[in-house]
Amino acid sequence: MDAIARIETGLKGRFGADIKGLSSPSPARLFVDVDRRALRASSKMLIELGGRYMVGIGYDEIARNGTLGLIHTFAFDADHVAVVLRTSAPASDPTFDSITPDIPNAGWSEREYQDLLGMKFTGHPKPKRLILADDWPDGIYPLRKEVPYNLEPPAAEDVAYRLDEAPPGTTIVPVGPFHVSLHEPEHFAVYVDGETIKGCDYRGFMTHRGIEKLCQTQVSYNEVPFVAERICGICGSVHAVCYAQAVETAAGIPISRRAEYIRTIMLEIERLHSHLLWLGIAGHLIGFDTVFMQAWRVREKVMWLAERITGNRKTYGMVLIGGVRRDITPEIRSEIEGMLATLEKEVMVLKNAVIGDSAIHRRTKGVGFLSKEDAIRWSLVGPVARARGLRLDARKDHPYAAYGDMTFDVPVVDSCDVWGTLVVRVLEIFESIAILRQALAGMPADGPILTAIPEALPPLRHAVSMVEAPRGESVHYVITGEENRPERWRVRAPTYPNLQAVPAMLLDNQFADFPIILGQIDPCFSCTDRVAVVDAGTGAKRVLGRAELEGMSRKPEGGGSRS
Amino acid sequence: MSIVAIFVNVLLFLLLAPLFEGVMRRITARVQSRQGPPIVQPYYDLFKLLGKERINSAGNWAFKLAPLAALASILAVVSLVPFGSRVNALGGRVDAITVVYLLTLGGVSVLLGALASRNTFAAIGASREMVTMVMVEPVLAMTLILGAVRTHSLGLGPAVFSTAGAGFSLSTGVMLVAYLLALQAFVAKQPFDIPEAEIEILEGPFIEYSGPDYGMFRIYMMMKQMFYAWLFVAVFIPIGRTGLYPLNILLQLLGTLVVFVVIALVGSTNPRLRIDQAVKIYAVLILIALGAVGLAVAGV
Amino acid sequence: MWLASKIKQVLMVMKPGVVTLKYPFEPRPAPENFRGAPHWDHTKCIGCAGCAEHCPARTIMVRALCQEIRVLLYDGSRCTYCGRCAEVCPEKAIVMTPRFEQATDDRNDITENLELFMLTCQRCGRCYDMETTSAIDKLGLTGYRYDSLEARTVIRKATDSFRPKELEATERYERPGKTGD
Repeated sequence: MDAIARIETGLKGRFGADIKGLSSPSPARLFVDVDRRALRASSKMLIELGGRYMVGIGYDEIARNGTLGLIHTFAFDADHVAVVLRTSAPASDPTFDSITPDIPNAGWSEREYQDLLGMKFTGHPKPKRLILADDWPDGIYPLRKEVPYNLEPPAAEDVAYRLDEAPPGTTIVPVGPFHVSLHEPEHFAVYVDGETIKGCDYRGFMTHRGIEKLCQTQVSYNEVPFVAERICGICGSVHAVCYAQAVETAAGIPISRRAEYIRTIMLEIERLHSHLLWLGIAGHLIGFDTVFMQAWRVREKVMWLAERITGNRKTYGMVLIGGVRRDITPEIRSEIEGMLATLEKEVMVLKNAVIGDSAIHRRTKGVGFLSKEDAIRWSLVGPVARARGLRLDARKDHPYAAYGDMTFDVPVVDSCDVWGTLVVRVLEIFESIAILRQALAGMPADGPILTAIPEALPPLRHAVSMVEAPRGESVHYVITGEENRPERWRVRAPTYPNLQAVPAMLLDNQFADFPIILGQIDPCFSCTDRVAVVDAGTGAKRVLGRAELEGMSRKPEGGGSRS
Repeated sequence: MSIVAIFVNVLLFLLLAPLFEGVMRRITARVQSRQGPPIVQPYYDLFKLLGKERINSAGNWAFKLAPLAALASILAVVSLVPFGSRVNALGGRVDAITVVYLLTLGGVSVLLGALASRNTFAAIGASREMVTMVMVEPVLAMTLILGAVRTHSLGLGPAVFSTAGAGFSLSTGVMLVAYLLALQAFVAKQPFDIPEAEIEILEGPFIEYSGPDYGMFRIYMMMKQMFYAWLFVAVFIPIGRTGLYPLNILLQLLGTLVVFVVIALVGSTNPRLRIDQAVKIYAVLILIALGAVGLAVAGV
Repeated sequence: MWLASKIKQVLMVMKPGVVTLKYPFEPRPAPENFRGAPHWDHTKCIGCAGCAEHCPARTIMVRALCQEIRVLLYDGSRCTYCGRCAEVCPEKAIVMTPRFEQATDDRNDITENLELFMLTCQRCGRCYDMETTSAIDKLGLTGYRYDSLEARTVIRKATDSFRPKELEATERYERPGKTGD
């Protein structure tokens, strides 16, 4: 039976009247409107039918009909289908049943809307603040339409996040907010007993930039890709393409095949440089700086190529709604082919050096263990999941751009540790090179690269789009709006679900392995913290060593607004 | 003349240790396909550090004392050793055990500084440093004891120059292997630079130190490195035994340079190990060293 | 064996040699098609403010001083070098130069200020050619703009339905005190 039909009959059979609507605008999508009473049970049923939780989206419909909407999205990877479960609650009583006890990965999504929209989730195991600073005033929910995007409430001093209880017999090592092994500020309070890690609490979202709110109020449809590109310092093209795809699906804009091929080429070039970057960082985190320098030396050629094609090393600026901005001319094409040939040789040398090195084996094998069952329970994505035997890849499961035409392998190993993620990423580099060659060969000879959009986009259409970023699956949900900008845009980077599983991965490992275990998910905190209004919050307080901090020359930054 | 030798020792070690560090950094950079800092960069770093403000972030006397004690201990060691194959006035009055004690004093000063810092990361670094010291110093002690056994004298000169005194033998060969393998741990470079693992614990024992105090620790570390590299040359490689004092010094310095090149190459091609993995390796090294001493006692 | 693999590694890294340049003492020019700082050709600009409408960073400001004079101010401090201004310009008056070494301590080094004398419109319709490309990319040729050149900021619109009373309430809000309160 067709997957969508199977799911529809299952849901209707169990929930009958609570299902208020079912629509399938395309063979790969199913939108289910459900009454909020049946939210938890229907989510659980979707998981039992074989779904994987992706992300939750909350939005403000108060001006329209006095409700707050909540959406949960699920992916059925084997069936190539995404199911969107929509519900709503009146603004006077925005209470929903929490689905976190059944689906641990929804924990952060629900905490996010608790902070940002004022929803309440009954039965949530850890309803602490997630996104907003601890001194943000109660009652002001930034994602609600009435709050301006540039609201800056005055900051307070000495307000700190309450950490979880430390297990008995452990000391707290504060990793963060500033630490050498972390690229962005976040706080991991690691509970250690000697050198063994016994637990971990995470407080992040310190690099909020208010991107979703900004793009819902100030920026127009075609300017959003430029903002989306800057969500992440490594995977910019991914977010721009995913957003563009979501809008194009929602509004029904067909784009030319040539543009899809060009998008594919840019995505794969990004994957190449991201994996080489990760290889270098992994080397650095285990103290092997030579791997770091050599991997980045090899990566530099990819950056030069990107600069040649797009005009910039990282912020490609190629994507607009309807296609791409620049074309791949024949001379650029030959440059790509030349670069691929040298890259393949050099990555082979790097691979032989790294994979055969017993010292690296010692630092990465058996480290950061997380079983396959736990990986499924936590809805992990990306190379982290593929290192645990889960065959998940949005390029194969939910084909987009030109990936439907490409033949390539998805490397999957089942060593369940950091070593596995290293092997998966190195093999993926070779697969990317193969995809690039196929894309160059198979690209249609001519055609427009940007489709003209004849009339304004229809408002209030929903769409969800998945793209395989180097770190895993990236999900964008768009509700088109009036005034030439999206009504709601939700970005879920792959690090969002992966980070939730990090405390589980850290348990019973040595403290010295903390950086590499965190590094195995290739964390991109700027991708993860993109929501909420720009705030003037203070950083989390260090639990130990505060006297030293105050004695040093740096004063804490809080107290009084920025000039 | 032998009193002048003391000053020559101290001056040469003090002035040349940063140069060797610079050579190491340059070689590491070349292995990493980059240009690297100028060879005199460590001198610039030290001058910069000495010119900074002195901050006592822990607020106790032990914090201020620790770098001074460390520097004093290494200067004492350096003034005693028979550099250039000449036993100087002080060296003639002490024996090999004193050198071991003084080196341990240096390590204990680092521990003192780390524990006085009252910082979690320093505490972790201190515990790693303690473990490393306990496991690795015996190899050094046994090198000197090996010389003492073979030359039947605990005096510093004979103990160090055992190959000159009693020639090469199987036990010396085994000891050479043990010392080489432990050399990376002595000089705190990869794969054994665990106590100051920058990435994990933010410089470990020295996290609270800055300015002139940190400068003193840095010069202590550099002189310690140079001492260990020189000791390898002095004990196991029979150069610098010509009659001329200046020529001896030059030859031994060249030998030290070669050892530094090896340290740099090994350091830049290895990741850092975890302390529990390193401890297993140190245990094996102690056994090898013990074996060498046993062989020496047996007369082999 | 461990030693052999290490020796092999050392030999492997000798092949590429030193790859870093002594920049800035050795220059490193940008490649062709690089998106550096934009440059306006004042002889071609017609003062339509299409670039200002489409700048994602809101760093191009236009003020119509009177019927005849229009000032266009590009403030490079917020520019993200995306090149949208060059793309939408109907007269191709903007080029993305290869300049990327833009660090300076004087804001005027990265500013371009055009004062344009606006002729009376001849109704040739050329400015509207751009309008037909894309419904979501309209040039927005509305005419009068009044951005703040003094503060170098585009006058922004806050949310329509923001309640000022709520903002006031935040000033009077009691913050939680120290941890444990």
